[in-house]
This record gives sequence, structure tokens and C-alpha cells, in this order.
Amino acid sequence: MFLARLSARLGKRQAALEYQWMKRASSPVPLDQMVARRVAGEPLQYILEEQPFGPLSIKLRPPVLIPRPETEHWTIRLAELLRPTRTLSVLDLGTGTGCIPLLLCHLLPAGTVRACGIDVSLDAVNLAAENAALCGFSFPGTSRNTFRPIQASFLDPLFPHKILDVNPPFDVLTSNPPYISWSEYLELSPEVTQYEDPKALFGGPDGLDFYHAIASLVARKGFLNPGAVVAVEVGDGQAEDVQDIFHCTAHLNSELWLDPWNKKRTVVARTPARSRS
Amino acid sequence: MSSPEDVLRLKQLKETEPIQEAWDQWVSTREALRETSTLLEDPELRSMAAEDYTMLTESLTEIVKTKFPAILVPPSRTAHLSALMELKSGVGGSEASLFLGEMLRMYLRLAQVSRWKANIVASSDLDTGGMRDAVVEFKGAGAYEALQWESGVHRVQRVPATEQSGRVHTSTVAVVVLPLVEESDAQKEELYSMDDIKIEVMRARGAGGQHVNKTESAVRLTHIPSGVTVAMQDERSQHQNKRRAFQVLASRLLEAKLAREMEARRASRRNLVKSADRSDKIRTYNYAQERVTDHRIGLSLMNLSSVMEGDGLQDFVAALQRDHEESQMEDMLLEE
Repeated sequence: MFLARLSARLGKRQAALEYQWMKRASSPVPLDQMVARRVAGEPLQYILEEQPFGPLSIKLRPPVLIPRPETEHWTIRLAELLRPTRTLSVLDLGTGTGCIPLLLCHLLPAGTVRACGIDVSLDAVNLAAENAALCGFSFPGTSRNTFRPIQASFLDPLFPHKILDVNPPFDVLTSNPPYISWSEYLELSPEVTQYEDPKALFGGPDGLDFYHAIASLVARKGFLNPGAVVAVEVGDGQAEDVQDIFHCTAHLNSELWLDPWNKKRTVVARTPARSRS
Repeated sequence: MSSPEDVLRLKQLKETEPIQEAWDQWVSTREALRETSTLLEDPELRSMAAEDYTMLTESLTEIVKTKFPAILVPPSRTAHLSALMELKSGVGGSEASLFLGEMLRMYLRLAQVSRWKANIVASSDLDTGGMRDAVVEFKGAGAYEALQWESGVHRVQRVPATEQSGRVHTSTVAVVVLPLVEESDAQKEELYSMDDIKIEVMRARGAGGQHVNKTESAVRLTHIPSGVTVAMQDERSQHQNKRRAFQVLASRLLEAKLAREMEARRASRRNLVKSADRSDKIRTYNYAQERVTDHRIGLSLMNLSSVMEGDGLQDFVAALQRDHEESQMEDMLLEE
């Protein structure tokens, strides 16, 4: 009966999978309530209160943005690219659940990641702190990787100077900033708009506001170390625009990474290595 | 210092040790028997000697019957492997699915008795009870050796619980058992190179990224040289599905490799042996007669409940292993 109700909404195949996942979930929510919520359109990830991200399990709570498979894919690739030989200072802008820095903490050798995540939403910062603790990366110390979320707006022209504890220069800058444009926002499925935080989705009239802000931070003297890596996720069709923004504002050339569905998903740049002088 | 030739010679010597041991045992037992038989003439020691004589004769027979032939059987390459079992319901609709659930329980019981760690990797449960298919891994040394003979079509004959008229139905469940390859084994066996693998995600996602929050984690791998494909969608993340898919792919490739090796050995003996086909019906579970029959070795057990509880199944597993060893010996003896 549950399966039939789910099928009517999701189609047979997806319903069968999701029904299994609900039955296997360790959540105390009764199965009939889970099914009812799903049929009403709530995203599965919020119902199960958890989403796997790489080998990690990330705790979830509305309205914090649900980690996407595209983000999982490029974060794993970024970890393979970094191969740190010393401690890297990592900054994640718009951290949400904290999934990006936490996966880097998990995949890279102990003691090589000191990450800080910025988010304007208090819901996100609280959840990211819980996730840091659950994943075992909330303890300060040099022998382990650590992640610390901080509430702040990186659109603020004064960022990060007036905030304690965000200390440039950084070696790695990551971001999955809000990138949905005004016209696209109106077209989104209610599963997204009715449950996920618009602050995590809406990127200004053309969806590019946050890339301008990130590029000006990158251009700021002393914000990134020489040879630092910048990796930002972009929306479908935005890759070249974002490359241009980094080129014009920060004089950085970048490459594009494809996601598993062959969409240009990540713009990756490196600041020039220290010149020998 | 030992040269490579020395190492090779030492290895050969080491491998022949069991032959020497068996021979020494044979010689000393025969000598003891010869001594004992002279004492049979002695009126005082006669009864004691007769006892020894019987015992020694038995030992000699034992050596000839089991010890010598066992030396002929090449050491197993698969003894340490765990197993991956796939069950799929065949003809019989929901009744086949119900029986599949009962078979799964039977194997989980067997795992418990055999101290293997069983883990259901994937299953599609049905609202009506039972499941359409299931994938289970059995971790522990010897799991693959014991379970490999379960591959094939299992047939159940009974009146389904759902049947009103009391008519007997025949349904089938297909089982495939693969060697479970750990990541370290996969590299050791050189089963595939990453360049030969095509990784695909299965369904379109539109714009993807922040635009879509639907769970979309299905992954398909294709091993281009062999054409083997593995699709995995039971886990909620792509990463997990990919790991699972690689594990299944490695298992399939290792099974194919083992089968090729076996064929090559047989071909070299110019001996045509019918290899078991996966579509062959291997066993029948007849509820009305409380009977389970294995068609390959012609063994029937009149205790179906015990088989389904896992204990009786052990008898089949042991008999099939014995049968395999015997046929291996026959193969060896046919060699010139």
C-alpha cells in the first residue's frame, strides 16, 4: 500500500528504491509518516535526516541545502588533486552542512587540513558544527584535521576583517555558492523551493552575484597563498561566465571540470606560485 | 646466497613434502603389519596381534583410499575467498519471490553455523512478502568454496500459501555465487585496468546541481574488453554505488578468470567435461514429500525442514565438495 502511494508520485522504480531506504533508515519516525511526508513532496533526504557524502554520513535538517552528487564528485576529485605535504588552510564559502570541508578532512591525511566554513545562515552554521562533531573533526589540535563553521556574510565588503578567527592567507578556497538566477528560480520544482533555503539557492538576477564577490576576495592581496587552489561549483551554462569573472577580476586562468552527467560543473584555478626574487 | 634456480628447487622440494610424508607413513605401516603377521603364529600373543593386524590393515586401506588420492588434487586457489551470492526469482511470480525469501534465510542460517559474516547488500522487497531479488555477501575463509555449488536454478514444488484451490505450483529461483574480491585481491589478481572501465551515471538530471534535489545515485560500469557490465542503484550515494559496483565487477572478472583456468586445464587433458550451465536446474525442494533432491549428484534428503534451517544444507554442501574433489581426482588420473 505504501509502495503504491509512493509509486503514484515517484514512478515505480524510484519508489521501490526510496521505500527500501525508508525501511532501512535508523530514524525513529514511523514508516507511515515517512511515506506520507514523501508523498506530500518533502525531499527524501530531509525525511531520513541524513545524506551519504563520499564515505561520510552528513546530518540534515531543513532548510539547509541538501548535498548534491555533483558536489560529492568534484570534492573527491579535489582531494585527489591536493595531496598535501604540509598543513593546508582551507576556506569554504557558503558551507551549508559543511559537507565539502568535512569530506576534505576525511579524505586527506590527518593533520593536513585546518578548515573554516562561512555561512550567513545560523541554521547552517549550527548544523555544520554538529556535523563536524559527528565526523570527529571539531577538536582543535595539530595532529588531526579540523573544521570550524562561522556565521558571517562574505558579500559584506568588510569580510573577513571585522571577524575574529578567519585568518588569511588560505591555501584552498572552495565554494558551492547560490547560483540560481531569478528566472530559473521561478521554474524550480516545489521539492526544492518549498523546503530548501532560498538564501542557499538564489544567486542574484543572473545567478552570478556570489562569483563576483568570491573573485574580488581572491584578488585581494594576502587573501590566498601563492600556489593556492580555488574550486567553485557553477550552475548549468555558467562555467564560461565564471571563468571570465575570475579572469577579469583576479587575473586567474582556470580549468573546467565536468560532472558525472557531462555538465561543466566546477571552475578550478590556481594562484601563481611564489616568484623567485 | 641462493640463486633463482635454488629458490625454484626449494619450492619444488617443499611441494613434494606431503608425498614423502604419505610414503613414509605407508612404508612404516606396512612394515608394522609384516611384523604383526609373524606374531599371529605365536599362541600367546595371537589375540593381541590379531587386534593390531585389523587396525593396521584399516590404516593401510585408509592411506590408499584417501591420503594418496588427496595428494593428486592440486591445492585450491580459492580456499581463502569470501562469496557474493545473487538470487533472482524466476518462474512462479510472487510464490517464487516468497521462496526466495526463505532460501535467503536458509543461507543466512548456514552462514551463522559456518561463522561467516553475512551482509545483505541489495534486495528488492515486495509488498506481498518475499523479494524479487537479493545480493548477499558472505565474508569468511571457505565461503566461496562451500557456496560455489549453489549456483544454478533451484526449483520449489508446493502449494503456495496464497493458493485457494490447493493446487501444487512449481516455481524457480536462480542463484549465482561469485568469489568476493577485496580491493587488495583485485590488484593482486590484475583483473582490470582503470583505463578499460567506462563509468556511467544512469539517468538524466536536467540542469543538475542546486536545481535538482532528487536522489540520483545509480551507476553503471562497463569493462570494455570483456563487455561485462554492472549496474548498482541500491545505495543512496554515487560514491557508495560505485564502490559496490567495482566490487561486483571484480568478482565477475575473477570468476571468469577461474573458469578459464579450469577450462585450460581440462582442454590440456583432451577431456571433455560438461561444465555446469547457470540455466541448469540443480535442486528440487518438494514440500509434499518433505524431500530435497540435488540432481547433479542424485542425492535426496527426506528432511526438507532441516535443509531450510541450514543444517541439512550442510550435508549437500559437503557432498558436492566431495563430488568435486573426486571428479578432480578422476581428471588427474586421466592425465597421462
